[in-house]
Amino acid sequence: MPKIVGIDLGTTNSLVAIVEDGTPRVIAGTDGSMLVPSVIYFDEGGQVSVGNSAKAKMVEKPKHTVFSIKRFMGKGIEDVRQDLPLLPFEVSQESEHIIRLKVFGRDYTPPELSAFILRELKRNAEAALGEEIKNAVITVPAYFNDAQRQATKDAGRIAGLDVLRIVNEPTAASLAYGLDKRNQGTIAVYDFGGGTFDISILKLSDGIFEVRSTSGDTHLGGDDIDERLIRLVLHEAGGQEAGGQAAAAIPAIRKAVNKAKEDLSSGERAEIAIDTLNYKRTLTREEFNKLIDPIVERTLKPCRQALQDAGLKPSEIDEVVMVGGSTRIPLVRQRVQELFERVPHTELNPDEVVALGAAVQADILAGGQRGMLLLDVTPLSLGIETMGGVISKIIPRNSTIPASATEMYTTFIDGQTNVKIHVLQGERELVKDCRSLAEFDLKDIPPMTAGMPRIEVKFLIDADGILSVSAQEQRTSKYQSIEVKPTYGLTDEQVEQMILESFEYAETDIEARLVIEARNEAETVLNATMKGVADEPYANLSEEEKAEIGSAVKNLRELMKANNHQQIRDAIERLSNATMRLAELIMNVAISKALKDKRVKEIENE
Amino acid sequence: MDYFEVFGLGRILGLDLVALEKTFHELSRKYHPDYFSTAAPAEKTKAVRMTALLNDAYRTLRHPVRRVEYLLSLYGFKSDGSKVPQTLLMEVFEINEQLEEVKAGRASIEEIDSLRAQIREKRERFDSELQKATLEWDELMKSRAPEEKRKQHLTRLAEILSESSYIRNLESELE
Repeated sequence: MPKIVGIDLGTTNSLVAIVEDGTPRVIAGTDGSMLVPSVIYFDEGGQVSVGNSAKAKMVEKPKHTVFSIKRFMGKGIEDVRQDLPLLPFEVSQESEHIIRLKVFGRDYTPPELSAFILRELKRNAEAALGEEIKNAVITVPAYFNDAQRQATKDAGRIAGLDVLRIVNEPTAASLAYGLDKRNQGTIAVYDFGGGTFDISILKLSDGIFEVRSTSGDTHLGGDDIDERLIRLVLHEAGGQEAGGQAAAAIPAIRKAVNKAKEDLSSGERAEIAIDTLNYKRTLTREEFNKLIDPIVERTLKPCRQALQDAGLKPSEIDEVVMVGGSTRIPLVRQRVQELFERVPHTELNPDEVVALGAAVQADILAGGQRGMLLLDVTPLSLGIETMGGVISKIIPRNSTIPASATEMYTTFIDGQTNVKIHVLQGERELVKDCRSLAEFDLKDIPPMTAGMPRIEVKFLIDADGILSVSAQEQRTSKYQSIEVKPTYGLTDEQVEQMILESFEYAETDIEARLVIEARNEAETVLNATMKGVADEPYANLSEEEKAEIGSAVKNLRELMKANNHQQIRDAIERLSNATMRLAELIMNVAISKALKDKRVKEIENE
Repeated sequence: MDYFEVFGLGRILGLDLVALEKTFHELSRKYHPDYFSTAAPAEKTKAVRMTALLNDAYRTLRHPVRRVEYLLSLYGFKSDGSKVPQTLLMEVFEINEQLEEVKAGRASIEEIDSLRAQIREKRERFDSELQKATLEWDELMKSRAPEEKRKQHLTRLAEILSESSYIRNLESELE
């Protein structure tokens, strides 16, 4: 059985985890850190790096460093227009239905960018587990809509992963908390991350984790807190007149306020200093709380909604679990405690708990755990457009998934062969107030008198929360072909194309790896040479030999800077050849010394 | 397979919700696609469809009103909660007028409270009528009453349901 990893593809950080011997653990990256910052850096040479090294470039190279890409998944430009002024990204003109970021003149969609992060996690897992990883469970916010889920699945495909399941983050966290140990009970998972907020209410009974309701906001997280602080600094640092200069300092401000926010989770005051703006201030916990209060308040409304949907009072919740980095903020903990009238669980690292839960779900899929079963729900109602721009709901929100609905369609004109079905998600009554999901075009309907065809259309939401549609004409029993036009997503063909293009990256990835290996070896050889040159036998070499060593060292040092592993290898070989006689001489000296030592010992022993 | 059959039940309306949940969990453990992730594609598809049917059935049957609506749909009755049932026309005329006042923001707190109490009183009346009618249906099924009689009762059930769901809509509109 090939291994299946669990991946938390987060707004701020991403993690990969696996269950081994029944216990989930997070797999560290090559730099030893468990959290891989969800940051992608593109260098001039076309190399892409992900994680801590990319994060280090955020201030210096803001235009070539992409972060918080999760907030753009499954979105069009109108959805994020308000965020753009504070973000350094260059957005392509063709971003109406899918945002495209331009880096070095090339457009990247959010699934492609997320795929870079997934590829990094895949590599980390492969290096740690010593085998190729092809299968993964990836988590998403519970409140993600169909397009956002599909975009996440597309990202997995582009990264060369078979995404066996999309799991909701709060539900995954509940698995990791091992709350199955209590046989019965109702728990609330409050998940406040870098970019999204979720609340899920689950009922546990004998290993079955049944989600009763979920609510949230996929555009509410730590990023919004940072944004508020950035605006505060911009305002105080001179407002409008210093606009140009201040705007250029945004990446530095972002870094500084983020640090201050983190400091305020334990301290009572924090410093914010921006050298380039000559700006410095102290932020107290009290000022910070006042500033973020409206954001924390926005998380409580979905909590009340979820309680109402589950038909529960706050006092009927047995346990509250805190997930996501933003739950480290004292004000958040305080508010949640007040709402649910109990002290929330914070034992597990809120950054790791979702990845651990994803690994547990992966283990369930792999057949390792049969005792636990997750029954999740769809967060949004599914509806179809009817006459007059009104929506007819066919699958209500909080329905356990997989879920389905069947509708009958017919034609309005004699001989009509096509019927269009517009599918939407949302709770409002009118088409214009809901999120358009896709248009399904039923084709090749047998030509008949108007009203005669009876086309049964089946809408199926699978366990990932993703919709598929099938249709059958009842009189002819013929399955209809359906053309799907996702409103905010990639078509299958586009994803295929991106997979092909990603091989290009796979090759540059290999090349990058070879270069790193060659450089490492060059370092070793250079160190050995320097030691040899300092050794006595070096004096016995001819002037030509010494000159050749010097020149070979210089050559290798030069070529190490380039990105061509073959040239580095050639230079290493040239240096090895040049130092061959020196190595022999040193060896001889060492041997004769060893023999001498041995003889001395023998004499001593006699 | 209809939703009742999914749970191994006859077409009865008085259901034991604890037993229903227990069966739901047992069947979930049997069919859920999580247990078929390494199976052949055809088996996987079957697991998804079977579980979707199970979930649809549970969602419908555990809810007292949806359960009645579903039973009626099996016999070709269509429900529409938006139209005013003929039988209610006179009774709700006044309520609707008052509701318009509330919507226009011209009603006082006392008036709203009194309207709320009125609607609740009506809703409770229809709820208990519906409750009674469902029990009667189960009796008819148990005593294997002739089809003619059952059809008659279904018509009555449909009437009460449309009345009670209309009132229920008014209630949620007010909230």
